[in-house]
Amino acid sequence: MKAFFDKLYNALRSVKLAVVLLVLLALFAIAGGIIPQGKAASYYIEHFSGAGSRIILALALDHVFSSFLFLLVSAIFAINLTVCTFHRLTNEFFKPREKRRHGPDFLHIGLIILLFGGILTSRSRTETFINLRKGDSVRLPGGAKVVLVDLKYEQYPDGRPKSWESTVAIDKNPPPEVPAPVLAHEEESGDTLGTTGFADPTLNNSLSSAKASSSASAVSSAAPAAPAISTDTEAGHGLPSSPAPSTPIAELPQYRIRVNTPLRLKGYSIYQQNWHTEKQVVLRDAMGMQFFLEPGMRETTKDGFVLFMALDTSQGTGGAAVANVAAAPAAAAVQSAIFLLEQNGARTVVKAAPGEKINSFTFSGYIDQPVSGLAVVSDKGYPFVAAGFILVILGVFITYIRKLKGILA
Amino acid sequence: MIATIAFGLLLLSLVIQIVFLFRKESGQDGISPWLSLAAGILLLIEIVRRSIAIRFVALTGMFESLIFLACFLALLIFALRYFKSAKGNRVIPFGATIIAVIFLALASSPLAPSDIKPPVPALQSGWLVLHVSFTFIGEVFFAVGFVSAILQLVSKDEEKRRSYDRITYTSIAIGYPIFTAGALIFGAIWAEKAWGVWWSWDPKETWALITWLTYTAYLHFRLVRKSTSKLVPALVIIGFVIAMFTFFGVNFLLKGLHSYA
Repeated sequence: MKAFFDKLYNALRSVKLAVVLLVLLALFAIAGGIIPQGKAASYYIEHFSGAGSRIILALALDHVFSSFLFLLVSAIFAINLTVCTFHRLTNEFFKPREKRRHGPDFLHIGLIILLFGGILTSRSRTETFINLRKGDSVRLPGGAKVVLVDLKYEQYPDGRPKSWESTVAIDKNPPPEVPAPVLAHEEESGDTLGTTGFADPTLNNSLSSAKASSSASAVSSAAPAAPAISTDTEAGHGLPSSPAPSTPIAELPQYRIRVNTPLRLKGYSIYQQNWHTEKQVVLRDAMGMQFFLEPGMRETTKDGFVLFMALDTSQGTGGAAVANVAAAPAAAAVQSAIFLLEQNGARTVVKAAPGEKINSFTFSGYIDQPVSGLAVVSDKGYPFVAAGFILVILGVFITYIRKLKGILA
Repeated sequence: MIATIAFGLLLLSLVIQIVFLFRKESGQDGISPWLSLAAGILLLIEIVRRSIAIRFVALTGMFESLIFLACFLALLIFALRYFKSAKGNRVIPFGATIIAVIFLALASSPLAPSDIKPPVPALQSGWLVLHVSFTFIGEVFFAVGFVSAILQLVSKDEEKRRSYDRITYTSIAIGYPIFTAGALIFGAIWAEKAWGVWWSWDPKETWALITWLTYTAYLHFRLVRKSTSKLVPALVIIGFVIAMFTFFGVNFLLKGLHSYA
């Protein structure tokens, strides 16, 4: 029995096994690097020969890095690395201090920690994308509330982006969210379900105003188990969550988020992912008050509502684009928009161009609202990964720096 | 213009080396290393000039990357004369000069536009500078290892084979930690800061990992097979081919987060 375990131990710590596993991992990675990953089975049948597509699908080469074979080889590699490290480390400790060489140990332990961190990342990492306009806020799972106070976009003369920067205020202890009242008849409530009258939407930056903070747009989650991140508006329905009054923004600590300079909060990091503009229609009532609606939002009237459905894309101009804010509105001025009107219970879809009347409003045009694209990430594995990085760097340099001593003439 | 002069100097160095390769006397000529040094310094000046123009380290485009690679390879060719194992060897500097000339020839091709463009937001990072510069410096040593490994494979003289094996191993042993730090570690740290994810199996990442795995396999394989096996230098040759595919092939054939590179 002892002989069997000795053989197993020797096999698992063998450098030859390490070489075989390294070559296998490289071959899997080459397959993953050449064959398009994550496509439907029909894609491989269409683009590869009969035998080729059968091999790809049978060996799960269409999703190499999560396939059983790749994970099996990785697991054996991890065992090989661990046993080899243990064996080497114990041998080194029996040597006189001056003869010990711990470079490979640092390197191997770093790789083991890196692998552990990688597994933790793949199991626990969550990523949620949010689009915020100035004044919008978002509540993180930990309870903190993030308000977009300002966003800046700079571009080079050739039109390429130079910098994206968001300034956010963090309310770490906001009052609990008050559930939105169930409105049996929205018309009677007198409340509006869209962004409401502000002469300048860029001044819309108060957390204490439910109306002002009711325009956070679509939230999409990339991870299956991403914790819920609530915005002040359920996109598409325009239902404000009616937050209770809280600390004024001016009194909250403010932080800048730029590409390559994420904001680290407790357990979360917020990354500046992109910047784009989103078109809003501007409606004017008889009193001259302006109302700004994004697609899917509506404004109530005496006998119903006006809902901005979408831009008329048949005219060839897109709805949202990364663009210069100052230049964009003029280009879009002639485009029509599609509205849903409700009057006394009857609903009709109408297409209107700027200047036309829509119910009691005048459709006065468009405004391009800058939107900051942020990613909220939680990754419990990264501290381990970072520790692994440090040990790997230490290990490789300690191991091979000795070579420098022997090469100079 | 500066890069063109450097290209001319390297071509002249190549011609002189060819002449000396056919002469019977042993040892390297006394001119070509200095031409390589001059070319390297000129390319360094070009990198500094472009960096001042964009107010950032000029390492964010294909042209600048090729200039950087050629610059450090030219400097290493000069430094080889001070390396114990490579001193007096005429073929390794010759092979390395050919690679440097190829880099500069590619830099002057339409594949690598030489317009000076400041970087987009994702590229404005100190970690990117470390990532790219360490990766390329590591690859410069891999280039010398590649030439030496070819000579090791084709050489029939056992003593010469051992000598080339030593040069190959030394080159990889110096390049490997620099490449590991640059391509994998600094690259992952930059990716985390820019995109919030330190590894995403992006084609460039995957191919950089393949390069690293190949050289890791070489270093381990050499432990168990010593210098007699032909598979050992073959891994170094394969490793450099993969490294070059990672640099050129992935940029042009496979789309990913690095598609602006």
